[in-house]
Amino acid sequence: MKRVLQNARAKRKVLVVEDEWINREILGNMLSEEYDVAYAENGQQAISLLQEDADSFSLILLDLMMPVMGGEEVLKICRSDTALTGIPVIVITQDEDAEVSSIRAGADDFIKKPYDMPEVILARCERIIDLYEQKKLIDSAEIDPLTGLYTRDFFFEYIRQMEKYSDANMDAIVMDVEHFHLINEIYGRSEGDRILKKISSVIMTELRDSFAIACRCAADTFYIYHSCSSDYCMLAEKILGEMASVSFKSTKIRLRIGVNKSVDRNTAPEQWFDHAKLACDGLRGDYTKQIAYYDSAAHDRQLYHERLIRDMDSSIANKNFTVYFQPKYGIEGDRPVLKSAEALIRWIHPELGMINPGDFIPLFESNGLVQKLDRFVWEEAASQIAFWKKKFGFTIPVSVNVSRIDIFDPDLEDRLLGILDKNGLSSGEMLLEITESAYSDSAERLIEVVNNLRAKGFRIEMDDFGSGYSSLNMLTTIPIDVLKMDMKFVSNMLKDDKSLKLCELVMDISKFLEVPVVAEGVEEKAQLDKLKDMGCTIIQGYYFSKPLPADQFEKLIKKETEA
Amino acid sequence: MITLDALREFGADTDRGLATCMGNEALYLRLVSSVSSEKSFDDLSSAIKAGDLDSAFEAAHALKGVLGNLSLTPLYEKASEITEFLRNKTDTDYGKLLDELMSKKDILTDLCK
Repeated sequence: MKRVLQNARAKRKVLVVEDEWINREILGNMLSEEYDVAYAENGQQAISLLQEDADSFSLILLDLMMPVMGGEEVLKICRSDTALTGIPVIVITQDEDAEVSSIRAGADDFIKKPYDMPEVILARCERIIDLYEQKKLIDSAEIDPLTGLYTRDFFFEYIRQMEKYSDANMDAIVMDVEHFHLINEIYGRSEGDRILKKISSVIMTELRDSFAIACRCAADTFYIYHSCSSDYCMLAEKILGEMASVSFKSTKIRLRIGVNKSVDRNTAPEQWFDHAKLACDGLRGDYTKQIAYYDSAAHDRQLYHERLIRDMDSSIANKNFTVYFQPKYGIEGDRPVLKSAEALIRWIHPELGMINPGDFIPLFESNGLVQKLDRFVWEEAASQIAFWKKKFGFTIPVSVNVSRIDIFDPDLEDRLLGILDKNGLSSGEMLLEITESAYSDSAERLIEVVNNLRAKGFRIEMDDFGSGYSSLNMLTTIPIDVLKMDMKFVSNMLKDDKSLKLCELVMDISKFLEVPVVAEGVEEKAQLDKLKDMGCTIIQGYYFSKPLPADQFEKLIKKETEA
Repeated sequence: MITLDALREFGADTDRGLATCMGNEALYLRLVSSVSSEKSFDDLSSAIKAGDLDSAFEAAHALKGVLGNLSLTPLYEKASEITEFLRNKTDTDYGKLLDELMSKKDILTDLCK
């Protein structure tokens, strides 16, 4: 017996089934030092003892020829009753032909009569008990007791073994139950378990004839590794179909299935299922479908986004973000005059290089991180305005972006004023751009904030005007100082009549609101002329200049002072 | 009282018998002493007298097992011989074989007195 087990647990119990009392005494004498020994005089006694408390027995020593019920009958029962299959049986026999037939019938070993030396018998008993106990340990780690499917660790181990012998295309499938924890809570754990068992039995039935294995990975999450036969996953459809016909207390359960088709063998098996799980998780709350396929392009995008999110803070600290300035020119007179600039953020990533703002701005807007970027730009822009003011003796006002999320920052006003104050600037020297869609989104709060900012002397530019969904009624109540025409109108104004009409409409609205219009995205003289005809007074765009780093922008200021 | 020496003289492999009993002499001698009153001797004799070879085989087989485990060689060998004849239902003089077995048993019984 393994020392650890021996020390940690009580003596094992051995059942001696033998009709001759002398033989029972001899065996009992041999075994009793190592084991607790129970006796049965015939098969019937043995079976009733076993059925009373099967778990207490570690071994059966079974004589074959007995009255009432012989050993072969006992062996048959032991090997068909699931409560008894975990107990090893050593058959005691005088006849060699009985050895073969009893091994076939499921005996684990045999002892000859006349008995072998006690050392031999004891060694055989010990070995077989150890073997069974180890097997039980392995079994309990291998199989999920609730569902009979593999456990996660063994599942992946078996996948690695399958991988050694097969390179067939395989699908990784992840399946779970929507709101399973609620089912447990509302209908009780036993109902939850019933559902899990049903799912497992459906999986097992469907997989019976396939090259596939399955496990229950966590509470209600199932993993299936399955040979892939076509572009879509028949198996997933079948399981859903089968489950749809089962009714539970909770009337309806909703399975979600994520499929990673034809796994990529350059990555580890765990990753195949992570990807399938991503697809599965993507179905959360989507009641239009139950099966989703993993999309590696989408996943790459997601990974890229994760990278950007992860790197943002360090990039701010390391000044991998920089602020560029795009000039806005007044075109009322004969000569265009540099009026102001828009601060635009650029990200020069130390490893990824220049990242398109279109890649990271919408991302950071969607998760609120844009707030950090905005604050960075405010700081940078303010210090630049102050620097030029000191250097040239006049102010080039710079407009900065105020994102939707900033509107809900209760300290917005103080924060902006603090930055200006630190740089010795007044609120009139930094312009604030708020996108039109922010207006329609949370109008009341926004109007309140904008009114407060304007009361402090800030000027507000409504960005991307025309792209949002402002109602005409709202326009009359919006407190703004400048309209920035959506650049799509400008870029299409000479190509289609509709865009041209929209430009004119924006101009009309601006006249009605008595605010000037800034036209963005102006690239050609023809566009400029047309806009000028319409009464637009401020132009921003490549026609004059692309966004420039501060030092280059400074040359434009210098030129302006010389003119 | 039976002794190991007497048993050895009778022809028993006492070393092996003792070993099977884990060297427990008292147990060994107690079991040997009681073997003469084993019911299987009676079962065997009545079955043979009745010509019931199947029952006779069962009894002989059982006896053979016990005698072998106690290493009572003279008895064991005779019991084995009878068992094999019975197993094959050999046509032989079972009465004579039984007498031979019984006379050896009687010797043992006397030794145990």
